[in-house]
Amino acid sequence: MSGNIPRAIQRALLSVSLPVYVLLYAPLSIIAIFSFAPTLHHPGPNVAAYGLMFHDPQVMAALRRSITLALCSAALGTLLGTLMGFGLSRFRPAKGGGLWVGTLPSLIIYLPIIMPSLVFGISEMIFFNYVNQYTGLLSAGLLTMGIAHVTFQSPYVALVVYARLAGLDPNLFEASHDLYANALKSFWYLIVPVVRPALIGGFLLAITLSIDDFTISFFTAGPGSVTLPLYIYGAIARKGSSPEINAIGTLMIATVVGVALLYYVVTRQRERKLNIPTVA
Amino acid sequence: MSDTTAGPVKTQAQSEGFTKALRLWMTAGPGLFWIILFLLIPSGVMLGIAFFTNSDFGSPVLPLSLSSFWEVLGNGILGWSDANIITLIRSLVQAGVATSVTILLAYPLVFFIITRPANMRPVLLLFAILPSWTNQVVRTYAWMQLLNPGAPLAHLAQYLGIIPEHFGLMPGNFAVLIGLTYNYLPYMVVPLYAAAEKLDWTLVEAGRDLYASGPRLFLNTVFPQTLPGLLSGIILVGIPAFGDYVVPQLLGGDKAMMMGSLIAGQFTFSPNWPYGAALTIIMLVFTCVGLLTFRKLTQRLGGGEGAML
Repeated sequence: MSGNIPRAIQRALLSVSLPVYVLLYAPLSIIAIFSFAPTLHHPGPNVAAYGLMFHDPQVMAALRRSITLALCSAALGTLLGTLMGFGLSRFRPAKGGGLWVGTLPSLIIYLPIIMPSLVFGISEMIFFNYVNQYTGLLSAGLLTMGIAHVTFQSPYVALVVYARLAGLDPNLFEASHDLYANALKSFWYLIVPVVRPALIGGFLLAITLSIDDFTISFFTAGPGSVTLPLYIYGAIARKGSSPEINAIGTLMIATVVGVALLYYVVTRQRERKLNIPTVA
Repeated sequence: MSDTTAGPVKTQAQSEGFTKALRLWMTAGPGLFWIILFLLIPSGVMLGIAFFTNSDFGSPVLPLSLSSFWEVLGNGILGWSDANIITLIRSLVQAGVATSVTILLAYPLVFFIITRPANMRPVLLLFAILPSWTNQVVRTYAWMQLLNPGAPLAHLAQYLGIIPEHFGLMPGNFAVLIGLTYNYLPYMVVPLYAAAEKLDWTLVEAGRDLYASGPRLFLNTVFPQTLPGLLSGIILVGIPAFGDYVVPQLLGGDKAMMMGSLIAGQFTFSPNWPYGAALTIIMLVFTCVGLLTFRKLTQRLGGGEGAML
């Protein structure tokens, strides 16, 4: 295929793409480099900012909250998302299906994906505010943030699982039915093994979505539930840049890169083992 | 077919359809109800607030009125102002320009990737989208460090006479444009890559056999095939860029205000919920018009169905 393209064009493509890759990574590298920057008390490149970060109780509390939030919301988001992806791929006709089976579930699933995150966040803030006002439940905090995170995670997980199940031969279900498997058994012995890569992928995706989010967290958080992104945002607003914020930023970038590479390796290995041609 | 034979068949199909619908809602139901309860209803409540009157504390009270929409049009206590309309136009222009820049950057990048050997392509694609998985605040903060008055980039611009001395490249419209482009570039790359990967190269060869020149070859053989991906990319970039909150907030400043900051302000520092909700409705109307236009275009071109649930 590449032989089809003249060498001059290939060179031109490279000469544009290389700067784009540099552009993509330059800002992130700057954060990492600045995290080792010399300060008044520490001349020369140093890791003082990291020491500061690990001994800052506010940062450590924010880190703990971020991890708790990401893991708990991703677990519930993956469960709900997997069930949605499974239900839609299995019990919905390929075309049509009417309001209750066709249109409505699609609309609902796409709502969190299409809705601008600002509108998403503010809507939930108002909703939780009224619920709390009238019932005393759901006061703004990690719980309300978690609820919001599950809301935007589950549709993405559903899409991943759906894509995996869409290519599945429907005869397999008939076969499992013929072997006297009930719905639960065929779910456990047929669906779960098939969707396991999608399940792991969806879970990791949900974690990255949770760590990546700022706007929705910002509006659903309470005074006692400052997570890392919220902490950084507040610190930037208060005192601009500092080596400590750069150190936190570097840590967050490294985490996401780590999770992404893990995801990549896991899916690649599985696909090789199952001998399925690589899609991504 | 007579009624006597059609009757039972139809009921059987209907009951089968009902069972399937029941099973669908038994499995997908919890997730769907979660979204209904925690997003559909809250957004309905929020939009409804636009039709209430503003209280002294910024919360909605009766009677129902359209006064907040009147305010959106620019009618305040101090008379009419064009600030809101300018903010709306600025948001549309910024989103439009940012989307165009991502298209210009994504095309060469995507064609560079798909002309590499097959085993390298996934890695190159992964590296193109990896930065978008880091937190948006961190990404935008990174640009603050590159564009502020003390940064090398700003020094270069000062030296070249683009900006006055001691000034930075932020805050301002330019910084917001860079921030939006950087944040949403991967959302253009992914759909474009999906379309380009399925490209039928025999058409390109046929075009070459007919002595089509480079640009015409691209426009007539390659471009139409990537159009569905391009349209999805425009939706994925344009819509969130239009309503973005973090980038104009951190890189923009007062003179580069966008819809997102304007709306958020009505729910945070100087609360006026009905007014904020009315602004949101305006923003959503523009979002939906854009979304439906591009969806219609995609459907007419017969592409983009694969990615849709």
